[in-house]
Amino acid sequence: MSRKNNEPRLLEGNGFQSVLSSVVSIIIGLLFGMLLIFIVGALDKNMSMKTVWEGMRLVIGGLFSTGRGASGELAWGFNSINFGNMLFRATPLIMTGLSVAFAYKTGLFNIGAPGQYLMGAMTSLMIALGIPSDKVHPVIIWILAFLGAMIAGAIWGAIPGIFKALLNTNEVIACIMTNWIAANVVTWLFDISKFKNVTESTKSGYIYKTTFNNVATTKLGLDKLFPGSQINGGIIIAILIAIGIYILMSKTTFGYELRACGANKDAAKYAGLKDKRDIVLSMAIAGALSAAGAALYYLSGNTELFWSTYQSLPAIGFNGIPVAMLALTNPIGVIFSALFMSMLNIIGLQITSLTAYNEYITDVIIAVIVYLSAFSLLIKQFIARRMSRKKKEGAK
Amino acid sequence: MDQKDDYVIEMLHITKEFPGIKANDDITLQLRRGEIHALLGENGAGKSTLMSVLFGLYQPEKGEILFNGKKVEINDPNDATALGIGMVHQHFKLVEVFTVLDNIILGAETTRMGFLQKKEAREKVKALSEKYGLYVDLDAKVEDITVGMQQRVEILKMLYRDNDILIFDEPTAVLTPQEIDELMATMKEFAKEGKSILFISHKLNEIMAVADRVTVLRKGKGIGTIETKSTNTQELSNMMVGRPVQLQVKKDKAKPGQAILKVEHLSAPSRVHKNKNAVHDVSFEVRAGEILCIAGIDGNGQTELVSAITGLGQTNAGKVTLCGEDISHASIKSRSKNMSHIPEDRHKHGLILDFSLADNMVLQRFKEKQFQHNGFIDKPMVRQYAEKLIDKFDVRSGQGPDTMARAMSGGNQQKAIIARELDRNKELVMAVQPTRGLDVGAIEFIHAQLVEERDEGRAIMLVSLELDEVLSLSDRILVMYEGEIVGELYPEETNAQELGLYMSGAKRMDRKEAAV
Repeated sequence: MSRKNNEPRLLEGNGFQSVLSSVVSIIIGLLFGMLLIFIVGALDKNMSMKTVWEGMRLVIGGLFSTGRGASGELAWGFNSINFGNMLFRATPLIMTGLSVAFAYKTGLFNIGAPGQYLMGAMTSLMIALGIPSDKVHPVIIWILAFLGAMIAGAIWGAIPGIFKALLNTNEVIACIMTNWIAANVVTWLFDISKFKNVTESTKSGYIYKTTFNNVATTKLGLDKLFPGSQINGGIIIAILIAIGIYILMSKTTFGYELRACGANKDAAKYAGLKDKRDIVLSMAIAGALSAAGAALYYLSGNTELFWSTYQSLPAIGFNGIPVAMLALTNPIGVIFSALFMSMLNIIGLQITSLTAYNEYITDVIIAVIVYLSAFSLLIKQFIARRMSRKKKEGAK
Repeated sequence: MDQKDDYVIEMLHITKEFPGIKANDDITLQLRRGEIHALLGENGAGKSTLMSVLFGLYQPEKGEILFNGKKVEINDPNDATALGIGMVHQHFKLVEVFTVLDNIILGAETTRMGFLQKKEAREKVKALSEKYGLYVDLDAKVEDITVGMQQRVEILKMLYRDNDILIFDEPTAVLTPQEIDELMATMKEFAKEGKSILFISHKLNEIMAVADRVTVLRKGKGIGTIETKSTNTQELSNMMVGRPVQLQVKKDKAKPGQAILKVEHLSAPSRVHKNKNAVHDVSFEVRAGEILCIAGIDGNGQTELVSAITGLGQTNAGKVTLCGEDISHASIKSRSKNMSHIPEDRHKHGLILDFSLADNMVLQRFKEKQFQHNGFIDKPMVRQYAEKLIDKFDVRSGQGPDTMARAMSGGNQQKAIIARELDRNKELVMAVQPTRGLDVGAIEFIHAQLVEERDEGRAIMLVSLELDEVLSLSDRILVMYEGEIVGELYPEETNAQELGLYMSGAKRMDRKEAAV
């Protein structure tokens, strides 16, 4: 009987309703994706209903696809490469998602994540490639590169914060401008640096893998767990940082102060809190988080940076926004929403390689989910209302 | 038909519940045609909820509404408008950046082929405004006009829609004494024309002056409906609170000690026009053990004076000394070391509405040793402290310390702020309109608290717009008019009439002679 007494309390819990609303957004997004697969397939004369059915199943279960069996039918099961790569790709997304979520909690909209991410990418790569590993231990280089990236990101994030604090400039506009400044500064600095094409002269315009200098994130044995994938210890670091941010925000005086400033700047000022300092600090931390994401990605040992395209802005930075929104800006939720986003990515690859559909279909699905995540608050209210009505009927 | 039973609106046995609270419990309210019917009750007694039910904002769980004797369903404000019900909300519902005229016609625009016909609207509004003496500047933006004029805009909105049933939700809370008199006269005029008025208030004098009948609510229940002719303020307040209430502030003569706050030749810029001074060369002292009241009509520089002293606003010239320390340019934090501040705007400054009550209680104190260890907030301790304050100051809320500040009634929000500020035990208590919008029970309590603080030797600087409060609570009165102090009076030697003359600028005193 005791369980029965606990049940309504769980269902009425704010946290539970938040999770439920995000799940509802996701389900609607996936259903829409299936519908899209169906419509595209039905309109295309070259696709059979079998292909359509395969595509629809892959939208939901693509993560568990193991390719095609001997009979040519889709085979299902645990796919270590899919899982490992999902975790690997989620790593930078967790960090940019955290960056946006953190700033949002303090009342700031950090659309500057791409720029901060780029500064982190540049700084981590330059340090990782610039310090010779025969003189300094690679682990120390890795740590320096990681910390250096965070500092660079913090500085870059603080700039819009300073403008906001001192001149009351809208942080969104300042962030967009610093994004483009970062894109061009980074491209230019790589252009004049000695780091491009450090190994393969056949490739032009590349910063090659940091493994050239023996610098790579430790695998922590995860490669044994997910053989064949690109996974490394970065995901553990990202999860730990997310938990750290959660504790910082909800348990500490510093977090209280930041949230107070975010929720009501005037009341924070009235209470003698340093609202201006808090805005700058909050943006600096957000910037450091984005840049740490870039460091975890580029120091992984699997990645290379094609610098000349970086006159544009990295999508991972912008994707931090939907990741944060889908998680309702909860730092722990960010872990799961980032994992979900990267799962969709993997599904996209599976659909492309196994069917006649292309991966852009998953981009559409992601877009729908992002769109719905903006409604997740609405969905949350709807759920809350339904529950209170049910409770009332139960009482009668 | 007997005029007595000619009910235009009947709300029968209305019950409305919210999580944790029964806001309306079997309440019956019958409004006669052409009467002014007051709805009296403490904060959180369920007045606003009942009116929201009538206005279609809430659906009751039980009960029915009759219009001219026929049962009606009011599902949203549009239904209410269709029945001719109009409401002036306590917090005005105006579009700040629109002009007065645009606000009045908003939602009821006359159009021809999709184009606005403002000319016709203007004529109609002008006629109404002249007929009832409701002066408004039709082309001014709402954000630029006074609160009193904003209220007239709200009233004109109802008249423009030809509403016959007018609801006024605590209309006098924001008005000056003169404006209140005007409003009363207007309401009587409406009633004479056959319009029916529901007047929500907890100000007994106003109810006695203007209403024909009064329905009293207490803690969600209807206590009864009586004729104002056959009752008096004491009986009404007892009905409302449920126990005999002390309407007069009980206090002994002040024994002022040394000066705690010293203000010398202070000038401060206006909030609205930054290049103009709202406070001109003001000097005064607040001494330990006295309640000094700054009286005046709203907008005569009181807000700017308080801002300059608390540090929320700027100072152009002059010196402020608190407990012997020059704080003219000190940070808010260092000022608050010796000052607690009950702010004028409780939503803007006083509370973080999206924080829980417990979190709000430690807004200035969360860094103190007892509430944190190594930077980690001690949540059980914060909760315990909040519970103590809730208990001591009788702050009512649905879920205790976990209630979101936003979900609390205005009066309880104010009590929470007062609890927090008084418990900080500072030498100076800056209380800006501490009882605005509160009911007699709460006012009695807060006044007693302030007197107790005074008797413990604290200096109280009270800013009030209510003449009753000024006269009954203060030990010394300074009147502010157009940014200057024009009079220094003692409550036992003056009266409301004289005070009114100073407040309106008709009389002034050379303070150099008057200064003590």
